[in-house]
Amino acid sequence: MSTSTRMHRRRFLGTGLSAAAIAPTVIPSSALGLDGAVPPSERIVVGGIGIGNRGTYDLGCFLEQKDVQFAAVCDVKEARRQAVKKMADDRQKNTQCTMHVDFRELLDRNDIDAVLIATGPNWHALAAVTAAKAGKDVYCEKPCSKNIAQSLLLRDTFRRTGRVFQAGTQRRNLPHFAFACELARTGRLGKIKRVYAHPAGMSAATSGWLPPEPEPAREVVDWDMYLGPAAWRPFNKRFLDGFNFEKGGGLVGGGVLEWGSHCVDLCQWAVNDRSPPSSYDPPKDGQLVSRYDDGAELIFREKGWIPLGSCPVRFEGETGWVEAGDSGKIVLSSPELMAGRTVAEIGGYPATFHVREFLDCVKSRGRTKGNADAACNAHIACHAANIAIYLGRTVRYDTAKHEFIDDAAANRLRSEALREPWLM
Amino acid sequence: MSMIRLMLAAALVAAPGLVPSALRADDAGREAELLAVLRSDKPEADKALACKGLAVHGSAAAVPDLAKLLDNERLASWARIPLEAIPDTACDAALRDAAGRLSGKLLVGVVNSLGVRRDAAAVDLLATLALDPQQDAAVAGPAAIALGKIGTVAAAAPLDKALASPAAAVRLAAAEGCVLCGEHVLAAGKTAEAVRLFEAARKADVPARRKHEATRALILARGAGGVPLLLELLAADDRASRTMGLVVARELPGAEADTALAALLGTASPNLRPLLVEALADRGGAIVRAAIVQAAAKGDRDVRLPAVRALGRVGDAGSLAPLLELAVGDDAELAAAAADAIAGLPGDGIDAAISRQIPSSSGKKLVMLLNLAAQRRIDVLPQVLEAVQSPDAAVHAAALATLGEIVDLERLPVLVQQAVKPRDEADAAAALKALKTACVRMPDRDRCAGTLAAALDAAPDATKIALLDIIGEVGGGRALEAVAAAARSGDEKLQDAGTRLLGAWMTADAGPVLLDLAKTMPQGKFQDRAFRGFLRIARQLGGTPDQKAALCRQAFAAARDADEKLFVLEAIRSVPAADTLALAVEAGAAAELREAARLAAADILTKTGDSIPGGWEKAAPLGVNRLKIEIVSATYGAGEVQRDVSDALRKRVGPTPLISMPSPAYNTCFGGDPAPGTAKKLTIRYTIDGKAGEAAFAEDAPIVLPLP
Repeated sequence: MSTSTRMHRRRFLGTGLSAAAIAPTVIPSSALGLDGAVPPSERIVVGGIGIGNRGTYDLGCFLEQKDVQFAAVCDVKEARRQAVKKMADDRQKNTQCTMHVDFRELLDRNDIDAVLIATGPNWHALAAVTAAKAGKDVYCEKPCSKNIAQSLLLRDTFRRTGRVFQAGTQRRNLPHFAFACELARTGRLGKIKRVYAHPAGMSAATSGWLPPEPEPAREVVDWDMYLGPAAWRPFNKRFLDGFNFEKGGGLVGGGVLEWGSHCVDLCQWAVNDRSPPSSYDPPKDGQLVSRYDDGAELIFREKGWIPLGSCPVRFEGETGWVEAGDSGKIVLSSPELMAGRTVAEIGGYPATFHVREFLDCVKSRGRTKGNADAACNAHIACHAANIAIYLGRTVRYDTAKHEFIDDAAANRLRSEALREPWLM
Repeated sequence: MSMIRLMLAAALVAAPGLVPSALRADDAGREAELLAVLRSDKPEADKALACKGLAVHGSAAAVPDLAKLLDNERLASWARIPLEAIPDTACDAALRDAAGRLSGKLLVGVVNSLGVRRDAAAVDLLATLALDPQQDAAVAGPAAIALGKIGTVAAAAPLDKALASPAAAVRLAAAEGCVLCGEHVLAAGKTAEAVRLFEAARKADVPARRKHEATRALILARGAGGVPLLLELLAADDRASRTMGLVVARELPGAEADTALAALLGTASPNLRPLLVEALADRGGAIVRAAIVQAAAKGDRDVRLPAVRALGRVGDAGSLAPLLELAVGDDAELAAAAADAIAGLPGDGIDAAISRQIPSSSGKKLVMLLNLAAQRRIDVLPQVLEAVQSPDAAVHAAALATLGEIVDLERLPVLVQQAVKPRDEADAAAALKALKTACVRMPDRDRCAGTLAAALDAAPDATKIALLDIIGEVGGGRALEAVAAAARSGDEKLQDAGTRLLGAWMTADAGPVLLDLAKTMPQGKFQDRAFRGFLRIARQLGGTPDQKAALCRQAFAAARDADEKLFVLEAIRSVPAADTLALAVEAGAAAELREAARLAAADILTKTGDSIPGGWEKAAPLGVNRLKIEIVSATYGAGEVQRDVSDALRKRVGPTPLISMPSPAYNTCFGGDPAPGTAKKLTIRYTIDGKAGEAAFAEDAPIVLPLP
């Protein structure tokens, strides 16, 4: 076999996810800090903030882990508080899960090590930053930020506080996606020319206001806390779908941020979590083309995918390509790329491995795959693309200064004031 | 996030509370229009959204009108959006002015905005708010943080004083402000001032976490001079200090830190050492690598194991010898970790060293070396071929597996022979697994498939099927020929395998083969499989909608009975095209097909709208007419547990009574299971052409609204 076709295992294993990497890191109990091998010292005490449909799924992944004790839930909706407490108490066979309306009460508890944040996207960044400042490690659902400024604040806060952050980008801990990214990152595809992400809709709108409806009692739904950092508007129950409410802050709608925070995130991983692209064209013929400084392209593409399930990504290099999706399958330009490797086929994008990696890093203080720096770059790419869509023209982005070049309108869309008294 | 939720999000053309993108930066008159809204008696909603527009289009001219809204509890948060965004000092002045007259949350809002804008002229104002002992901590705290965001030397002075505030919340905020301010002045090259701020925050009477943040900042600001403080953190008795120490141990650059941390690995407490190994591995480099090799070689097993694993990430040629020793040791977990680490070591020198050791090795070590050769894909074919002949079963099995990883196309027949004439049953399975591993990576698929096909005749029956499966995995034209031949053979087992493989074929060239089989095979399981396989290819791989439609028409023509025709009519519902509509209309002439044809036509027209010329007229004989359908309300659940799913249905309803949801599972479409373990139903109140109707559907039933 020629040298040119030999696989460089070290680069693979060094940066990717081998089968072993799915297994927990082994850290002896004595290293966990309470200087004793008694079981409580091995537990990570977790609280939940905003636990709706997605959060309930995530919580299930946490509760599967033997070293997790879920101690408290915070939700502005009474029904959710009760449901989550029941779920946690039933699983843990106790009645110790406490309920809170204001997440700051939960963060004030010294016994809580980490929090799961699964509120609507309006709250994600602010809750995560507040939790980090309160000394908590954070698993935060995506999208993690509403705009570019929040993405940077999130990154800087987690650096400053030294807390562990895991974005809810669970595909980073699925073998086939990890392998696809690894092929791109380690040069097996040659120099990367294009990476493709599926945005599931490319539109941008501003968040708005609906006709007022009678506001529920604060114990049932605390509307003021639900609004949180979003500009004030009267209660309307249609806003209570946290999924669509104030998702992108200044710009809402479409799947560039919503789905991009998965697919673009994987593309960013494929290019070594480098700085985001520096130019973004508006969509044309179902494609939005953005370009990195070295000329490689990140393309948001609606159609043309091999049917591999949702969240497809494709990475094209000078010598090969790979495509992967939520079915757990990958398609390669050459079977040779698969040589020497067995990649588990796990469909359905479970978050279990991602949660486990987060917990391992809570213990080791290591860097998660969905760390705040990586999440920041991926989210900025999505926000900048949304700005290009909104303005209907090409925007150029200085990745060092984090500002658009000679573009006052685009720069104004980088951030949005938080409603008083909230600050990040 | 589920795909369904995402699809709904993607369909948010007129979703609640969203304002479509109507604003354009090149709209020169937009500011005047938006200001006119602010000055009018229009509802608050209009004024709020005008503020959003001014964030893009506003200038200094908009500031006076926006400033007036800062006193308005409902609209102040909207007004601060443009006031933070407009790049004009008039905004700063307006915010400072408002700070003089506001109180409570509204004051906090403008204080926060001054911090975001980093208004240096606001330092005195913010200092007054932060330091006034009578001031509410809810205001003084944000003022201190705003000073930190402004980040000038002038802003630093009041922060020092605020650290001594009697209010704990203000001290906490001031410490945060000090770190923020220190970062800014450090970036401006004023290291001494930054260090002073970090020191001050460390010494303040604030919770440990804030001190640790300041300590981190201090260590990083001092660079190599921060190493002693880093070691102090790591040696602390409390977990929180060590936690931050492990973070900084990864961040602080430089050889001084490498050396100090490597030395610490030998002396640190047993609790810390495994965690330190992880941190050192994240640092990488020669100094820490040597320390990790040493830790891997001997001592506490709790340290050795992570050290061995870490060498997989940071090891080099010098790590090979100790790892090889560990890999054949008696401790199975250490041995496995060492072997895995060797697999990841970089460099051709490693390959050569492994290759050299194979001829002189035997037993457990030889198995390990063969496995490594396989994992690293080292070109050791002669040695492996020799090992395949070994009487040692473990060596033979390892050699077979290695052969699968490294054999090339020229030598593939060697492996085929092992599969066709195995030593025993277990050996057959191992050989076939190796053969599959080899075949699926061969670049020349046709030659590979040809080699396998040539072996079919001589193979035992069971092996023939396995070889066919491998041929199917290989794919390509030659493989298709071989599989088609099997399907056409007179051997039932081969027919079974052949049609099974063709039914799952992933390229469109299997279409004609399947169609031919569907037409020519005797009716039964295999013919049915071929028919369905052809339809699958037509739907999934058939090309454009028109091309797919043509293939569906071929399938309909080939259908032998009503069941197969019904199957085609079901399939064309996902192929919206003029020709599939025509096919549905034609099929509807037969009574037994009429209902399926009606559903297909309705589905196609719902998906295509008006894009098929005369489509609605053509479908009218089937009873498919364009209707005006409105969902009044819809609930999904059981008993008193009901979820409002009106919006989900409104987004999917079209001009026919058929509502096509993105998934047949209601729970998937409607945001989860509202009543687990209970039979649920979907109840819809609606109007069709103005006439009211109500219908209930059992869980997951097709949604076709009855005409009222």
